[in-house]
Parts: sequence; structure tokens; C-alpha cells
Amino acid sequence: MSIQPEQRVVMHIDMNAFFASVEQQANPELRGKPIAVVGGHGRTVITTASYEARKFGVKTGMAIWEGKRQCKDLIIVVGDNKKYTYTSSRIVEFMREYTPLVEVFSIDEAWLDVTHSLGIFGSAERIAYLIKAQIKASFGITCSIGIAPNKLLAKLASDMKKPDGLTVIKPEEVSRVLEHMSVKELCGIGSKMDRHLALMGIRTCGELGRCDEARLTRKFGILGKVYKQMGQGIDNGPVTPVEEDDEVKSVGHSMTLRRDVSTREDILKYLLQLSEMVGRRARRYGVAGKTISLYVRFADYFSSFGKQDTLSSYINQSDEIFKAAVNILDTVEITQPIRLLGVKLSNLQYHSQQLPLFPDERRKTLMVQAMDSVNDKLGDFTVTFGSLLATEEKGSHVISPAWRPDGIRNVNVQ
Amino acid sequence: MNAQPVRIAVVYEPGKKPKPVWFELNRRQHKVIETTYFWKDRLGDTTRLHFAVSDGEALYELIFDPSEQSWTVESHRIE
Repeated sequence: MSIQPEQRVVMHIDMNAFFASVEQQANPELRGKPIAVVGGHGRTVITTASYEARKFGVKTGMAIWEGKRQCKDLIIVVGDNKKYTYTSSRIVEFMREYTPLVEVFSIDEAWLDVTHSLGIFGSAERIAYLIKAQIKASFGITCSIGIAPNKLLAKLASDMKKPDGLTVIKPEEVSRVLEHMSVKELCGIGSKMDRHLALMGIRTCGELGRCDEARLTRKFGILGKVYKQMGQGIDNGPVTPVEEDDEVKSVGHSMTLRRDVSTREDILKYLLQLSEMVGRRARRYGVAGKTISLYVRFADYFSSFGKQDTLSSYINQSDEIFKAAVNILDTVEITQPIRLLGVKLSNLQYHSQQLPLFPDERRKTLMVQAMDSVNDKLGDFTVTFGSLLATEEKGSHVISPAWRPDGIRNVNVQ
Repeated sequence: MNAQPVRIAVVYEPGKKPKPVWFELNRRQHKVIETTYFWKDRLGDTTRLHFAVSDGEALYELIFDPSEQSWTVESHRIE
């Protein structure tokens, strides 16, 4: 039996101040206090602020000094990514007890399509309360849940009450809820789009939904129709579990360096490390790519560049990725010390490894396979390039927005 | 502080995760008053168990490595 779009029941779960809540739970001394979680070795920005800190205006993305300016008693906690990835993976397992249709949006957000689970569990509200109780009992933390006929509205609903909220938008309530709501509350309308719409005299979802489609299409092309539908609360996008997710289009890693580096020797060490991380992950999931991208952010924090090069053949061995990244680096004048480096392999295809015919290539491939197999068993960088041995910190220290609990996007962060 | 091997008493119950009861650090016994958080991580093909525990005075992280059958302790970092 086919389900009409308005009969779907979609849930959006958003963990409240996720990293900060985990840290407050792990350390009772931090509970009830303004805390900000930052990345490793304290050089990154604030990744999450507790609700106590948010009251003072501390926000995600602020530099530590900015956070302390907002709240002088702000406690800075160096995040422990493994705690967060484990907790998130377990929470997704809880969700999958109620429906196989779970789409992980980020480490602290997911959609569930529970349309076909209601016969077993009674109602969407009951499922929501059961999931909340499971998360609270296991980790002591809270989430906000939105229930609605589609993903757009479910996310909107979960944002309406924080922390620890449960908001239901029924199909017959959609127009009333959206009528006076600001367009920037909609997922997918950022501040730039909000400004464009404001210039057209559109500030609320009700106004967006009533706007002439031709007018929106003239301004935004084919997206005009999508925006009009968003204003009306229409979103036919399915909840897509990770295994049915779009093909991965790239494999990349970046790192904020422990200290700014300016010598070529130091830059190359980090590039080699990043190339090994990209290569390892590409080989593990059997993909190879033709395009290498290099991203550099300089010490002044504001200036950066990104450049890419497409090769004649597909590669996934770390030394080849490294050479391609160095070739890009050599086309650019480095005018100041570097704060952040990133390497990405894209233009991917699935790649079954064949042993090369020529002895030197064959030996190299076998050596890479042997290194990978030791590192799979004993941990990344157990066997690595000699020039990396003295490097203090190796591996990924940042949870990317693309992190997922399974598959190629499941990066084992430090 | 780096991870240090510890002498430890742990209760293992069927169907439950191990429960640290006390550990010795610098020749002093610390009784575990509360396990505040539990998580796992992967090192190669080994899954390690982490316990954030409080002795009522400070917070410690106890780590169990099943491949080595060893327990280590670390203190938590706060700035």
C-alpha cells in the first residue's frame, strides 16, 4: 500500500549541546557550569558550548578568546572525540531498534521514518519518549525531538523546544505553524538566502509559500520551485539510511597544526601524514581517485587557498597522493606560516587492486598491503614512513560534518 | 599525564560491563565512588573500554585493553 506524503511520520532527533553535555556528564564538576569544548591541543575554535555558556553569548565557531570575552568564567574542555563517536554510534543503534530507516545527518542529528513502525510501537510520541529514556538512562544526556510529516518540518519541530523538547507538527497544523515563522528557521535557508528573500519582501514561510513561483524561478532558477515548496512545508525527500546513501564523492582529511609551520620540511611532514590518512581510507574501502586537492589556511586565520589537480590515472597509494599534493604546493607561493592543511582525493571510482607486472611496482604494492594489514591489526601509524616517526600527534583529531557511524565516512578519530 | 598501568579490582557480572571498584595509583588506593561515563574505542582490531570514574576527589579515566588484559589510568584534561 502506498503512503501519501502527508501520511508519513518522520522524526528528527537533535542531541542538545552534544559534546558539552557528554563532558558535563563524564565530569560532575562541570555540570551546571559554562563550558566550551574545543579541539585537540586547544588551537581550534569552540565546537560546542553548554547551555550555561550559551546564556552569555558563547557560540560554536568562536575562538577561545572570543568565548572568554563573552563569559569570563568559561571553562575550556579539550574534547575527546572517541567519547562522542561512541555515544553517537550507540544512539543510532537505539534508533535502529524502532525503524531501519535512519538517516544520520551529522554526529548529533538524525532523521527516522517511523511510518511503518507505528503498528508495533503505538505512536510516534511513544517511540520518541522511549528513545529519550534510553539515551538518558545510558548516557545521562538529553535530546530534542521533532515529529512531522516530512524531514523539513521534523527538523523545524526539533528546533522549536530545546533542551529536552518534544514537538509534534500535525499535517493539519502545517500552514498555521509556518505562517509567521521566519524563513531562516528552515533547514537550507542560510543567512545569504535570507537576505536575498528579504530584498524580495519575503520574511516569513507563509510569504514564501504564497510567492509567485515564476518570480522565485527568475531569481533562483530551478531552486525557485523548491523554495516555494519549503515555504509551504512540502518536502518529499525520503529518509535515506547510510547504506543507501549517495556514493561517496571524495576522501579527505585536514588538520589544524599544533603550531604554525613555515619550513618546507615541516609542511611536507604534515602533507605526508594527511596523504597516508587519505590513502589508507581510500584503500580500505576500495576506491581510487584522479583529482587531488590541497587546502591551506594561513596563520592569520583569515587567508587561505584551495587548489586541485587532475591526474591521468587513478591513484590510492599514499606516496602518490603525497607527490601530487606536493606538486600543487610547489605552484603556490607560501607567504606566511601555515595553521591548517587539508588533502582530498576525489573523482573516485571503485578500484580492485591488481598486482602490477613490473617487479618494482609489484614490491611496492605488496609493501603497502603489508603496512595496511599491520596497521589494521595494531592501529593507524603503527608502521609508517620513517620521516613521520618523530611526529608528535598522528591521525585525525577532528570529527568531520560528514562523519557517519558506518562505512567509508566512519573515520576513527583520535 | 600519560596512561599508567594500575593494580585494580573489578567486578565482572554476566551480561554487564565490568565495574571498577578500586585502583592503586602512586601506592595509594582510590575507591571508585561513581562511574560517570563509559565508552569504547578501537585501536587496530582491539576494542578498548574506557571508564570515567570519580574517587570523590578527582576524576580519572580507566582503560581496559582486552588484547593485553591490562588496565591503565589517565587523568582528565580541563583548562
